[in-house]
Amino acid sequence: MTKLYEPSLPKLMEAIATEASGMRGMDRRNFLKGGIAAVAGLSSVQMIPKANASANLPPNLPEWQSYLGRGVVAKPYGDPSEFEDLQRRTVPWLTADAASSISMTPLQDLEGIITPSGVVFERYHGGIPNVNPDQHRLIIHGLVERPLVLTMEDLKRFPTVSEIRFIECPANGGMEWRGAQMEALQFTHGMLSCCEWTGVRLSTLLEEVGVKPEGKWILAEGADAAGMSRSIPLEKALDDTIIAWGQNGEALRPEQGYPLRMLNPGWEGNTSVKWLRRLEIGDQPWHHREETSKYTDLMPDGRARRFTYEQECNSVVTSPCPENPLQKRGFVEVRGYAWSGRGKIKAVDLSFDGGVNWQRAELDDLVLSKALTQFRFKTQWNGEPWLLQSRAIDETGYVQPTLKQLRDERGGWSIYHKNSIHTWNVTESGDVFNVQIS
Amino acid sequence: MFKSLNLGIAAIALTMSGAVSAGSLGIGSTATPEMIAGWDIDIRPDGMGLPEGQGSVADGEGLYEAQCASCHGLFGEGAGRWPVLAGGEGTLDTLHPEKTVGSYWPYASTLWDYIHRAMPYPAPQSLTDDEVYAISAYVLYLNDIVDEDFVATKESFAQVKMPNEPNFYIDNRPDVQNTRCMKDCADPSQFEIVTTINGVTPTGHFKEDSGVSANHYGGDEPKAATVEVAMSDAAIAGKAVYDKACQACHNMGVAGAPKVGDVSAWAARIATGMESMNSNAINGYQGDNGVMPAKGGNMSLSDDEVKNAVAYMVESSR
Repeated sequence: MTKLYEPSLPKLMEAIATEASGMRGMDRRNFLKGGIAAVAGLSSVQMIPKANASANLPPNLPEWQSYLGRGVVAKPYGDPSEFEDLQRRTVPWLTADAASSISMTPLQDLEGIITPSGVVFERYHGGIPNVNPDQHRLIIHGLVERPLVLTMEDLKRFPTVSEIRFIECPANGGMEWRGAQMEALQFTHGMLSCCEWTGVRLSTLLEEVGVKPEGKWILAEGADAAGMSRSIPLEKALDDTIIAWGQNGEALRPEQGYPLRMLNPGWEGNTSVKWLRRLEIGDQPWHHREETSKYTDLMPDGRARRFTYEQECNSVVTSPCPENPLQKRGFVEVRGYAWSGRGKIKAVDLSFDGGVNWQRAELDDLVLSKALTQFRFKTQWNGEPWLLQSRAIDETGYVQPTLKQLRDERGGWSIYHKNSIHTWNVTESGDVFNVQIS
Repeated sequence: MFKSLNLGIAAIALTMSGAVSAGSLGIGSTATPEMIAGWDIDIRPDGMGLPEGQGSVADGEGLYEAQCASCHGLFGEGAGRWPVLAGGEGTLDTLHPEKTVGSYWPYASTLWDYIHRAMPYPAPQSLTDDEVYAISAYVLYLNDIVDEDFVATKESFAQVKMPNEPNFYIDNRPDVQNTRCMKDCADPSQFEIVTTINGVTPTGHFKEDSGVSANHYGGDEPKAATVEVAMSDAAIAGKAVYDKACQACHNMGVAGAPKVGDVSAWAARIATGMESMNSNAINGYQGDNGVMPAKGGNMSLSDDEVKNAVAYMVESSR
């Protein structure tokens, strides 16, 4: 077999994916499996596109410039370039079944603070229901003057709001409580996304139904197979809760609750009930499964915290990280995200020596309450090892804690709400590893 | 004409001045008691929402074994990664806490609410109220919270006290206080650097149909896959139905379902012929190990869709 050139593994995978994207169903699956077998041996070089890669480089005329490209509305709803591979990923051993599981957002590949709708992290307890919006209803009842049933059309007549807010699963980082486990940013921090959400304030709907004076809590319930239900205090509902149908400029994705979801800004993601079908106003909380058995924080003394709603101030460096190693010596812009469920990010500091000394990072202009905030730091790297950390401070003055501080207080079994300073070990080769300093 | 226009302007003026009284937008329709009754399924610790009905521990035993034990274990010990329901008392402050209904859950009402709303996992809201009372009673019995002669009713169930209830308290964060130190904040000679535990990180995780990047994280190269046997058109069409309606049970073997790919589990069934298998899948079937709900509980499927799914499972399990 004549080898045209020895391709790198990523290039070969890319070539296989390009071939496969033109196939369907079983053909594609068989091809992919064949392709994977080929990768293992690097033997089937004839799959590689014919042209030599350098043919497109200067001074040559790139192949794609030598003929007309696709015209308008060839794809009325466009896709990312076929050369991109932005994708959610899951941890297969974490849960028993995909319909009650989680996938993570590829934070390491994102640009800016908006998470594209297709890669917003997923968390289901009974899979994604296929809801027909014409047949979907929101019922609001209980301790109200006028129980209402609302169609999607009804809801869209109310005064609307659009806000950029993060949503984070409280189990984000939960696999790291007792030790470093995951050798990838996507798995240590990827249960986190940030979108523009459009809908009506819950306070507006509550005004319409008229909450009776004894009404103090709201049960939010989904139309999924799990009938997801959470008790929300009235104060939150009157503060900033949104009943949303829009996400990043279009209807919610099915994964995010199409056609209607609750969005509790800054609060643990599970409270933002998807596929919302019912709101009941009551005088006390319901203590349902996802607020007793789950989403409560077990402390080392055997007692447990409940109604731990806020996602506390957190941050992480997204470049470099295990998926984004340092490739070249010289100038480096260190980048990352900070966020707080209590409001705006005030500052982010960086340490290159494991938290001994700190320097202030720059924040982007766009600093929004309860939203991802991008930070950047310009520096030089010349092969010296780093213990790279970021530390965020929010507008309440809260300083993101160390892992030791959190563990001293909460032990190692609380699963949820781990927001400690994270450490990447950048090695002399530029490779990056997840480590913990104790 | 003018009159109505004037009224419109008056309404706008009211809105602008913020004098809109509650409910004056007039959007939506009245939710009738009948509508609410169908959807209002929640149960509270004070017993609010519990329906009439009853179920004993003895009634619950058989139901539990048929409907629950394949995931949760005969004694609530849990199978694989499915939740453990019983045991774990005295472990919550140890290095291996086991959070079960008996050791952790603060309220019995949660059990009734959850079983009714979300169980059995592949067929939610399919149990009758009496069945939910019985299974709830049996799970409480497995945890030594009620005696074997307990009969759960609206009244008796609301009286059940769970042992761990006093150990929950309201969120008291922020609980730790870091300071914004900038220089010489820690002693590096005291650092202990702990790296990841080998073997559990899913480097190279590869989702088959996603198209790219088995080696995205520089993990092990993916191994060559086994050759897939060509399938019939029905089976190929059935894959999508399987993914949607069947895999919840047939992927893991929930509720006695034969797992796809488990050749020995399927052999005897295949021997009965496609007609018999199709009939069982379409009409439902009570086997020795569990129950196959009609169309997997998804009555929106056509008979042909079910047949295609059966073809897919059979052809994947020879």
